[in-house]
Amino acid sequence: MKLITLFLLITLTACTEVLPRQRGNLALPQMALTPDPLEFGLRQHTAFSKEAANGGYGGGGGGCGCN
Amino acid sequence: MKKNKTSQALAKLNLAALALTGVMQEAQAGRVEESYNFDFQYGNYVESSNRMKVDIFETAVSAPIGKSMTFAASAVRDVISGASPKYNRKDAKGNIVQTLSGASIFEQRDGVNSNLTYFFDNALLNFGGGFSQEQDYTSRFANTNLSFDFNKKLTTLNLGANVAFDVVEPSKANADCSKGVVTNEETGEIRGANCHKTSQQYLIGVSQILDKDSLLQLNMTVNYSEGYLSDPYKQVYFYNADNPLRLSDIQNDKRPRDKMQFAWLAQYVRHFEGLNNAALHADYRFSTDDWGINSHTTELSWHQPIGAGFQLIPRFRYYSQDSADFYAPVFYGTHKDYSAYSGDYRLAGFGALSGGFKIAKTFTELNKPIEQMKLQAGVEYYDHSAAYQLGNTNVGSFADFSYYLINASVNLKF
Repeated sequence: MKLITLFLLITLTACTEVLPRQRGNLALPQMALTPDPLEFGLRQHTAFSKEAANGGYGGGGGGCGCN
Repeated sequence: MKKNKTSQALAKLNLAALALTGVMQEAQAGRVEESYNFDFQYGNYVESSNRMKVDIFETAVSAPIGKSMTFAASAVRDVISGASPKYNRKDAKGNIVQTLSGASIFEQRDGVNSNLTYFFDNALLNFGGGFSQEQDYTSRFANTNLSFDFNKKLTTLNLGANVAFDVVEPSKANADCSKGVVTNEETGEIRGANCHKTSQQYLIGVSQILDKDSLLQLNMTVNYSEGYLSDPYKQVYFYNADNPLRLSDIQNDKRPRDKMQFAWLAQYVRHFEGLNNAALHADYRFSTDDWGINSHTTELSWHQPIGAGFQLIPRFRYYSQDSADFYAPVFYGTHKDYSAYSGDYRLAGFGALSGGFKIAKTFTELNKPIEQMKLQAGVEYYDHSAAYQLGNTNVGSFADFSYYLINASVNLKF
């Protein structure tokens, strides 16, 4: 929580103000945090079934009896 | 018409481009929620040495409901066959050898997932749920996400929660979970076990527009699982402490009945106008849990438009994890000497390198009612090796393997 507060303080004061009309580049499909959600889900599920790490990206879904 | 669409996309940028990942994938897929979307994806997963093969078929739809809501649903079928590591043992020279289950596994996983997203002026609320069914494994889950925009929509606070209720029903041979056995009603014969597992995950994150060309997202998740967390199809070999080649005991995999895991993720996305609007995606994740496993994940991808609606996307990923406190390839003594024990390669210390390439083509000059069609195809090669672990504690190459994953998809917007 402290880290997030610190991050907010830094970013709110240090970031460039970007007006809505200047956000065209950010709206490009390749600039989405997850440009291909279906493929992302497939790769996450595969990694989840082969590695011990889980989380970070958040989101839902259940477990599996993955071999 | 085109200008109007661009301005609509810009107006929806904040909540869409900065939407939570994970469950919000669907909401993000509906970022142009004035459109109806249909997606189909095929995946082909093949492990080395004739191990597992999986064919994946997935369909997803999303549709606007009024001016403020999007409904999304998806269905997936995995057709799985092959062999899986079952236990580690020693050969006559004392070397560790991994033994597979035999090419006898054939099963199918069917899953469905749906969610509803409501867009407020400065917030987004999402509810979702679904289930996944295999012959011996059922998972039911529900989730919710909330995002707030503030700081002139430069900053978004993301909150998420997910709960999953899983039931494992292993076959008779491994019916040892503590929840009780399942018997045949007529004969009284033991058919298997009925084991339960509950998982909760909570997310807090912040997305920030850094400037007109870059975004940053920072997430933290807490994941708590309790219940039957062992693998009913894996066994552990115990050797005599005084005579290390002499087998003394064979037991089913036994893990602690709860696990707490924390993960921190940083995602950075940068636009390069001078390179034909290319985009760099850089992710780093650190996770740690009370089983003793720390992991690092780094992923880089480059999204390069090359004209005529084509885009090339090379990617690279590196993963490394420590071993669990109760992991060993084989154990010494008897199972009574340990409270938990597992030889599962997924709990070992190892690293993995993977690289892939994807090509995408978007068609926009189409006949009504289709507004846009996007075709994508990619391949990824993944190499798991004990030698790739950070701070290499190399326990040997007996569990090394690789796989490739091919996928192809089509997206239609109406």
